[in-house]
This record gives sequence, C-alpha cells and structure tokens, in this order.
Amino acid sequence: MERTKARGGIRGTKLLNVAVPVVSVLLAFVLGCLIMVILGKNPFEALQYLWVGAFGSLANLGITLNKATPLIFTGLCACFAYRCGVFNLGGEGQFLMGSIVCCVIATKVPFTGLPAILLCLVAGAVAGGLWALIPGLLKIFRGQNEMIISIMLNYVATLFMGVIYTAWMRDGSVPQTVAVPKETQLTRLFGMRFTAAFIIAVVVGLLIYYFLFYTSKGFQLRAVGYNMTAAQFNGFAVKRYILMSFLISGIIAGLGGSAELLGTQYRLINNFGNGYGFDGVSMALIGQLHPLATVVVAIFFAALRTGSTTMQAATGVPTSVSDIIQALVIVFAVAGLAMVKLPQFQAAIQKRTTKKEG
Amino acid sequence: MDWTFVSNLILASVRMATPLIFLALAELYSQRAGLVHIGLEGLASIGSLVGFLVCLITGDPFLGVLAGAVVGIAVNMIYAFATIHLCAEQIVYGMAINIFAPALAAFIYRVYFGAGSELVQVKLMSTVAIPGLKDIPFIGPLLFDQTPMVYLAYALVIFTAIYFNKTKSGLNYKAVGEHPKAAATLGIPVIGIKYLASVICGALAGIGGAYLTTCYSTTYVDGNVAGRGFIALAAVIFGRWSAGGVVLACLFFGFCDALQIRLQVGSSGIPYQFFQMIPYVATVVVLALIGAKKAGPKAVGKPYRKEER
Repeated sequence: MERTKARGGIRGTKLLNVAVPVVSVLLAFVLGCLIMVILGKNPFEALQYLWVGAFGSLANLGITLNKATPLIFTGLCACFAYRCGVFNLGGEGQFLMGSIVCCVIATKVPFTGLPAILLCLVAGAVAGGLWALIPGLLKIFRGQNEMIISIMLNYVATLFMGVIYTAWMRDGSVPQTVAVPKETQLTRLFGMRFTAAFIIAVVVGLLIYYFLFYTSKGFQLRAVGYNMTAAQFNGFAVKRYILMSFLISGIIAGLGGSAELLGTQYRLINNFGNGYGFDGVSMALIGQLHPLATVVVAIFFAALRTGSTTMQAATGVPTSVSDIIQALVIVFAVAGLAMVKLPQFQAAIQKRTTKKEG
Repeated sequence: MDWTFVSNLILASVRMATPLIFLALAELYSQRAGLVHIGLEGLASIGSLVGFLVCLITGDPFLGVLAGAVVGIAVNMIYAFATIHLCAEQIVYGMAINIFAPALAAFIYRVYFGAGSELVQVKLMSTVAIPGLKDIPFIGPLLFDQTPMVYLAYALVIFTAIYFNKTKSGLNYKAVGEHPKAAATLGIPVIGIKYLASVICGALAGIGGAYLTTCYSTTYVDGNVAGRGFIALAAVIFGRWSAGGVVLACLFFGFCDALQIRLQVGSSGIPYQFFQMIPYVATVVVLALIGAKKAGPKAVGKPYRKEER
C-alpha cells in the first residue's frame, strides 16, 4: 500500500511536469488571442496563418527547423549549467564568441570545404567554452555571482563583435564582415532551408540527455545541482563539476554560434545573435531543464516565430505577438511549476491518487 | 585635461549614476525583505517605455516618471505573488520577469508606433537649480543644477540610510530579510513587508527606467537599459547592502559610463566599442576583486512558508 502510494505520487508529479507547460502554453495563447481581439483582428484566422506559416509546407518546416537551431543550442547551454546548480546567463556572449572565432577562421584560412568547416566548429566551440570559463573561475575561486558576470560578458562580447564588423574586418562601406566562402557554408538538407547545424543540435541534445541520466558523472553533476552541500559531504568534487558545467555549456553555445554563422548568417552583422541567450534560458526553463524537452520547446517557439511572419503578412497582427506569447508562457510555467510543488498542492494530489488506487 | 573636461566628467558621472541609484535602491529594498530580484532589467525596460509614452502623450516628464513607477509596481506584483505565495525560486522568477517585461515593452512600442521607423522624440526634463547652493564655487553648478530626479535619488538615499539604521520600523523590515520566522514570532507581518518591499522595488525600478527616457535620452529603443539592472545588482554587493555604500558604488559605475563617453569623443583610431566595454568590464573586475564576503541579508533567496513555523 505504502509503495503504490509513493508510486502514484511520482506518476502524478511526472504527469504534472508535462501538464504545467502545456497548460501554460494554452493560457498564453488564450491571452495572445485576447490581445489580437483588442487589436481588432480575428484570432482564429491569425492562428490558422500561424500554423500554415510554421508547418504548412516543407519549405516552411525547413525555415522553422532552421530558426530552432540556435535556440536549441543556447537552450541546451542554459539547461546544462542549471542542472549543476549554476546560472549561466552568458549563453549569448559564448554564442557570439564562437561565431566570431568561426568567422575569422572561415574567412582567413587558405582552405575551404569540410576541413575548414570542422576546424571552424571546433574552434568556435572552444572559444565559447573559454568565454564561459571566466564566470566559472570567478565563481569557484572568488565565490562571485556568476549571473551578473556572465551577463556583463554578454555585453563585452556583443561590443567585441561590433569591433570586428565595424572596424577590424569590415567589408567596404557596409558595417559587416565578408561572407564565409561558399564551400565552407553548411549545405541545406533535402532542398529545405535547414542545414546540418540542426542535426548537430539534436545530436548534442541526445548526448547531453545520455550524459546526464545514464552516466555516473552526469548523476554526480545533477547531485551537485540538486543539493550542493549534500554533494560536498558525499565527497563529490563540487568545484570541479561547477567548472565543468560552465565549460561544457559554453562549448555548446560556442558550437551553436559557429554553426549559425556557417549555416544561416554567413557573416557578422549588427544584431547577429541578439536575444538568443535569454531565449535559451526560456527554452530550458519551460523544458524544465530536460535536454530533450528543451529541444522540443525550442522547435515549438521557432515555429511560433516562423508562423508569425506569415500571420503578419496575411492578417496584420504584428510578429511581436509571438514574443509576448513566449514571455507569457515562461511567466505561467515557472509560477505553475512552483505552485504544484507547494505542500498544500502535493497533499491534495497525494490524496486523490491514493483514493483512486485504494 | 583641463577644468572643463573634469567638470563635464563629474557632471556626467552624477547623471549616469542616477538611474543606477534608483535601481540599486530597488534591489536593496527587495533584498532587505529577503527577496533577491534579478528582474530589475526587465522592470526598468517597461518603466522606460511607459515613461516615454506618457511623456510623449502628455508632454509632462513628471507624469512619465510617475507612470513608470506605476507600471513597475504592476509588473512586480507578478513577481511578488509568484515568489511570496507560490514560493517560486526567486532567481528563476526574476529571470522570467527579465524575459517577459522587455517583450511586453517592445510589443507595446510596435503596436503604438506601427512598423514605421521614424524617430519620435520627447522633451527632456529640465534642470532646476537650487538657489544658494548653486553658487558654491566648483561643486555648486555640478551638484545643485540638476534635474529634480537627481535630487530625488539623493533624498531617497538619505531617507533609506536613516530608515534602515535609526527607525524601529526599518529594523523590523530588515528582520524579515534576516530571519523571517523570528520576525513573525515578534508579530512583524512578514508577508505584508515582503509585499511592501515589492511595491517599493517595482516603483523605484520603474522610475530608474523612466529616468532613461525622460531625463537622459530623448527616445526609447529596445535594450536601452543596457545591463543597468545587473550593474545595479553588482552595486548592491559592492556597496555592502548599505545605502551609503550603494550610492558610492553607483557613482563609481556612473563615472565609468561617463568616462567611456568622454574617451570615445576624444580618441580616434581605436574602435569606440572598446570604450563602451568599460562599465561592463569594470563591473566584472570589481566583483572579482571584492570576493565573496557575505554581507547581505541572511534569509535572502529563501522561500518563507507560514505553516512551517
């Protein structure tokens, strides 16, 4: 009896973990529709165009997957660090550092094609990892707030990218760098807009999932994130795990930055990568720090963004409605997840499940 | 390096420090009640937009600031409800506010102005000289010929210092951030003070944001808060959670900001972005240097559940 009760509780919690984000999305859409009504638009028509724009054709699906790619990378970056109990809000800076190094290498090395692509991806990943080490080292050696430092480094990285495209590697009168050579660009798959970068992103998601849930190191890393003091007492090298989580999450973001540069943007330009860092945090939080859920959530919000362009063209509802919906989802989801953890709520769930099973 | 350069620098430092002071005080009031708030950036961005719009519509910058405060309080109530009643993790929820509020601000801006990209500008708040004090040589024109918002900021700092250190009510308030359960046994309304803190925090953060569009820049652009919400967080740590320390920290960061603008103007050949990095790099360096001596409220970040007493 005691066991079924416990299991019922766990099953209930697992169900809630899925239910809360879904309900949050529905609530956010309801509010989004209300906003459309206030703007004097027909929400049903708008939603229809939203769907068509995101998934209506193979071409649109390709655009959606392509838009999802950087979000998956920065989402996994945030997800991985937070699993170890540290907040890496510097995904954007690490993403940009990756793309900057990638851009320099891709345009300067004497060779092109696959060797250049591999070199660029690795170098970009390393650059992102090193950039993330700064908050990591300051956290473990100086006990400093990693959030503020990683945010400050986002601004530094953005400005440094500005130096690159407005001064050091500026291409003529336009403030942008030259494009990556055609042979070094990632090719589009199946004639659709998305590239191998998407495949890499999903593989990274699977690898992280495997690492976190099926290896002992991953278990220890999660233990550190769950309860740092307890992990310390168990003899886990807490500081080493914190540093590792920063390094790897930076590597993921840096890889994302170089993949985005080689697959989509081809050059550094104003606003490149803008907002991907915080978007990644949204994806990770809505996906409840589960790597695979983060991938799904990223695709979902990418679809919302792709669809919103079609929606704007057809109905005049501004695309930023999709940003509002995303923002509302996170506000609801985080509050909802906290709510279901409240003792009163847990007690109510426990009561219901035991009644059903007993 | 002549006197005009120096006096301009000091003048600009005071101006640039002012929004940071509002934001840092917002954080101080929140943390003193045990609520760590990393969402100030978001609150300031919505305050900045609403302040701008109201200033544009009414033509009165003071109404703009007031509206910024009101919208700051309104958005912060979401944070307050989620962290106080639902016991959501404060850091995570602060982040949610950081994502939600700027998106809302950007959306309102798009809807109000449409897709057109014409630059709409407002008239900035004019400076008001304080008679008498203004005539003090050297520092008079620098410190006593500013916008009323600057005076308000310093008045608030003095009030805060006295309130937290010299009044019973202030000590009760601080007790909530140090040890809420003990405070509750003494009959201090813990939940009420946490909500009060959220109202003050929202208002000050909204004012800090509105300052940017009513006193500093004549127009609103997305991302105009530019990390000040987080620099203010660093200023609270740097200032050791005391009003006086916080104001010095803000003046330092304001000085960094003022310096970078002056250096940009004065130099050629070096890409200007390197100068723009100065405030951000200074924040990282300062945090790295002061290390982690814990001086903040002890119960900050911890949820308070009444029934667990």
